[in-house]
Amino acid sequence: MAHVSVPMYWRTIPQRYRLVGHKCKKCGSVNFPPKGVCKYCNSSSEFEEVKLSGKGKVHTFVLISAGGAPPEFADQEKAGGQYPVAIVQLDEGPKVIGQIADVDPKEVKIDMPVTTELRKIYTEEGVIRYGFKFVPAGK
Amino acid sequence: MAVGISGYGVYVPKFRIKREDYAKAWGSFSAAGVGEKAVMGFDEDVLTAAAKVSKRALESVPMTPDKVTRFALASTTPPYVEKLLSGTIMVSVGIPNQALSSDHITSTRAGTEAMLSGFEHVRANPKGVALVAAADAPAASMWDSIEHALGAGAAAYTLSSENLIAELEGHESYASEYFGERFKPREDGLLHDLNVKKFSESSLIANTTSAGNALMKRLNRKPEEYQHVVIQQPDARVPVSVGGKMMFQEPQLAAGLTSKLVGDLGAASTPVSLAAVLDLAKVGDKILVISYGSGAGSDALSFRIVSDRKATVRFQQEVDRKEYIDYIKYLKLKGAIL
Repeated sequence: MAHVSVPMYWRTIPQRYRLVGHKCKKCGSVNFPPKGVCKYCNSSSEFEEVKLSGKGKVHTFVLISAGGAPPEFADQEKAGGQYPVAIVQLDEGPKVIGQIADVDPKEVKIDMPVTTELRKIYTEEGVIRYGFKFVPAGK
Repeated sequence: MAVGISGYGVYVPKFRIKREDYAKAWGSFSAAGVGEKAVMGFDEDVLTAAAKVSKRALESVPMTPDKVTRFALASTTPPYVEKLLSGTIMVSVGIPNQALSSDHITSTRAGTEAMLSGFEHVRANPKGVALVAAADAPAASMWDSIEHALGAGAAAYTLSSENLIAELEGHESYASEYFGERFKPREDGLLHDLNVKKFSESSLIANTTSAGNALMKRLNRKPEEYQHVVIQQPDARVPVSVGGKMMFQEPQLAAGLTSKLVGDLGAASTPVSLAAVLDLAKVGDKILVISYGSGAGSDALSFRIVSDRKATVRFQQEVDRKEYIDYIKYLKLKGAIL
């Protein structure tokens, strides 16, 4: 299992629970997840926090099937079958990786509009790791 | 000063299982009047559902989460036996950390308990806003007939003293000592019911009618003055038997009879059913809500509709959005296969 310790996970709660990103004070680009140095202008580490809308479009995606899921997602695959993982381009610019929930995997299309909501991602050490997943927009 | 509901949101998870699938698996289905019921997905629980309806309730006002000064959560199925639950939702929704929060988790009455704690806050703080979320997906052993009715759903309300949709006219409560009906012993953490039907029914009737009749007496109301009556729904027959005792007619119960479509929603039963009623109610309509939690107690709340503003997502839309699953998938999603 790709172990993420409790303190490491905790530090990313603002981005995982409510998509708080960093807007570069120099070039205005939005970094998500937040970076030490702006990945767009490579020259500023001054940011202001911005809450992203969670809305975006599927940039690309894969379907994870039996045997393909990382161990922490194996039970999810066994219970629910194949699931999509997408790179989504958010309206604010950043490309973000996440699962798409509440969708028939065969219905996922590039450019499909999605939004985010809080879901259980997986459970480790008895601790439920919550975070965002994408869902089809307007559902 | 008037206090009441200024916004609301409802959510029903998309999976459904039909009574026929239970009958196929067990030979019978013991939830009276429930045709099908809602089931949460593998990656959902009462906290994710509560976060979703909390956002929807705020959007229906519309209001930003930083205005919320009080948060209350209600559920009989918390994902942890001990750990603060409200915080997960507050952080996800963006409710200020400074807001007083409370988790109401020990009986199916918890939904109205949480609402009343919200109303008390607003009455004491007229500029305050309470956000109350009730989400539930009760679980029991698959061998127990009490399991058949158990569904899933959530509703949230913003309570305030301005911009009201429904004004709270009054409330009454009743608590008493009963046992043997729907209880969760600490040892195994599963719902039990001793199936002493007559005894359970006497508790149900005593508590619901005591709270309900006391409220109607105080408001000087006759049963026929209510357009809508919402009663706790361990199944779809209970509102009819309680309503009958209080001289309500079936048309008054119809809009709030959610259990036939989504099952027993536990602590979210009366909150979700009230949301279904708000979707349809007209200005001037009066609504009586009576919850029930085994053990036992009831809260009765009376509302009067003062605005025709509605939530953007209606209960009916949530009911129509569905995907049927078979009993095997149900067992997997409920974590019943170890």
